[in-house]
Amino acid sequence: MLFNSLRFLLFFSVFFALYHGPAKAFRGGQNWLLLAGSYAFYAFASWKILPLLILFTGIFYALGIAIERATEPSRKSLWTGVGVVLGLGGLLYFKYTNFFIEVFADLLSGLGFRVHAPTLSILMPVGISFWTFRLLSYVIEIGRGRQRASYDKVEFASYVAFFPCILSGPIDRPSQFLPQLEKQRDFDEALAVDGLRQILWGLFKKVVVADQLAEAGQKLIADPSHYSSGGLFVGMFIFLLQMYADFSGYTDMATGVSKLLGLRIAKNFNYPLFAQNIADYWRRWHMSLTSWLTDYVFLPLNIKWRDNENVGMAAAIIVTFLASGLWHGANETFVLWGLYHGLLYVPLIVAGTMSKKPKLTTVQFGLPAPSVVGRAMLTMALVSFGLIMFNAPTVTGAVAYMIRMFSLTGWEHGVIGQPPTWGLLWASVMLATEWFAREREHGLAGLVSLASSRRRMALYVALTLCVVVASGQDVGFVYFQF
Amino acid sequence: MSKSEILSQMQGIFRDVLDNDAIVLADHTTASDIEEWDSLTHIQLIVAIERHFKFKLDSREILSWKNVGEMADAILKRLGS
Repeated sequence: MLFNSLRFLLFFSVFFALYHGPAKAFRGGQNWLLLAGSYAFYAFASWKILPLLILFTGIFYALGIAIERATEPSRKSLWTGVGVVLGLGGLLYFKYTNFFIEVFADLLSGLGFRVHAPTLSILMPVGISFWTFRLLSYVIEIGRGRQRASYDKVEFASYVAFFPCILSGPIDRPSQFLPQLEKQRDFDEALAVDGLRQILWGLFKKVVVADQLAEAGQKLIADPSHYSSGGLFVGMFIFLLQMYADFSGYTDMATGVSKLLGLRIAKNFNYPLFAQNIADYWRRWHMSLTSWLTDYVFLPLNIKWRDNENVGMAAAIIVTFLASGLWHGANETFVLWGLYHGLLYVPLIVAGTMSKKPKLTTVQFGLPAPSVVGRAMLTMALVSFGLIMFNAPTVTGAVAYMIRMFSLTGWEHGVIGQPPTWGLLWASVMLATEWFAREREHGLAGLVSLASSRRRMALYVALTLCVVVASGQDVGFVYFQF
Repeated sequence: MSKSEILSQMQGIFRDVLDNDAIVLADHTTASDIEEWDSLTHIQLIVAIERHFKFKLDSREILSWKNVGEMADAILKRLGS
């Protein structure tokens, strides 16, 4: 059930009315409704997997209590370890079994053995990467003594299955989310209006920008031999613009929907297309995953290897990005993409500039300074180049794209066949709007202080019309596959 | 050494490593209170603290700290042992 569908609108209208109405009649009613709605939403996406989600939720609920009640540190570690092994084990089994069978078979074939490796028919649970990471952070935080266990089953299960976030994040931490469920949520008009604004902005990014660019991107990556090197060069930027508009558009909608329910979810994007270097980019892109990996992969490794100084840090970063690559999917392309991003950090580590947070300086009329534009373009080019590997179905396909791109065939044969002119134009509007909103939470957040109510209304109508005119293509969200 | 002395010496280390003389540490200070304190500089701070006080901290202990006060308590405990 996509956020930008009539079905979701109907589902959420009924849900919203019940949530702020009858569900308040008894204590915990909103959480019961939240849980029922979330399971219904998840069942709609993948009803066969719902029992697995419920089973894991129950196990981790019990583990949380067991970890908290354990008096011996060794017992705490044991239960935490059980949680980590179970969570990662489930993820590995459902998502990576076939990948490892194939890798192992390739390895044996390389050694001269004749191998017939049958792959298993395993149903891939939707959103498993997201809800597993929620469960893992819950037990690890309790194990580290930084989180209290939840003794309310409905509250805990609502945290795990919260429907706006279950399919594509953000990956909320229990310390931020669970306390919000402990209180009744009253309707907050200012928050709800801001939520509606953010939903509209997310819809614009998804339907008007991302979906208009999707087809061009798919054609380019499917068969790069049909296109000129100039076209493929432009194409890699299309990958980035489309992915950003799609994923951050989804997140804006998820955040807006949550605000309508009186809940605040984790921030996932902080205008990454204006990032000034690769470290800055990762502080701004998919922030909830980056911070998760930082806390549970990078930090423990970096602490362990701290005596090796820069070498230890580089190794910890590379391992973290390999984990990030694997998290995205069972394919060598994702592993190589992770390795590429890890290696991009090395020059920053050597120069000692990794933690510097570059300022986005402006010139006249609030426009970005030329140096800011230059650094942002370079960062975008580096990230876009990595997306060739990320988007390609195979490593061979990605290499073919890169070879063709650097073959200097110029711009003949048309740039990219039918160039997505409208998509690129609307992407420019998105970038310009977000530049001026970069200090705020989302693209339309500053409108209250900048425009009169009549102008605001005209803008809302114009944006809605754009969404209505552009909609009609049933393009799923990129991050649903993870 | 008292906890306030440890906090004072830690403040000097923080100012030096994070290159910010305006940093003032208190028990409740966390990474979100200091812009330059992130996951990367966190390790530099730990290494600098270990060199300054001349002992090694336990990895598990480091990961359990919630704020500066807990860091200072760990140092105090180590100095006392």
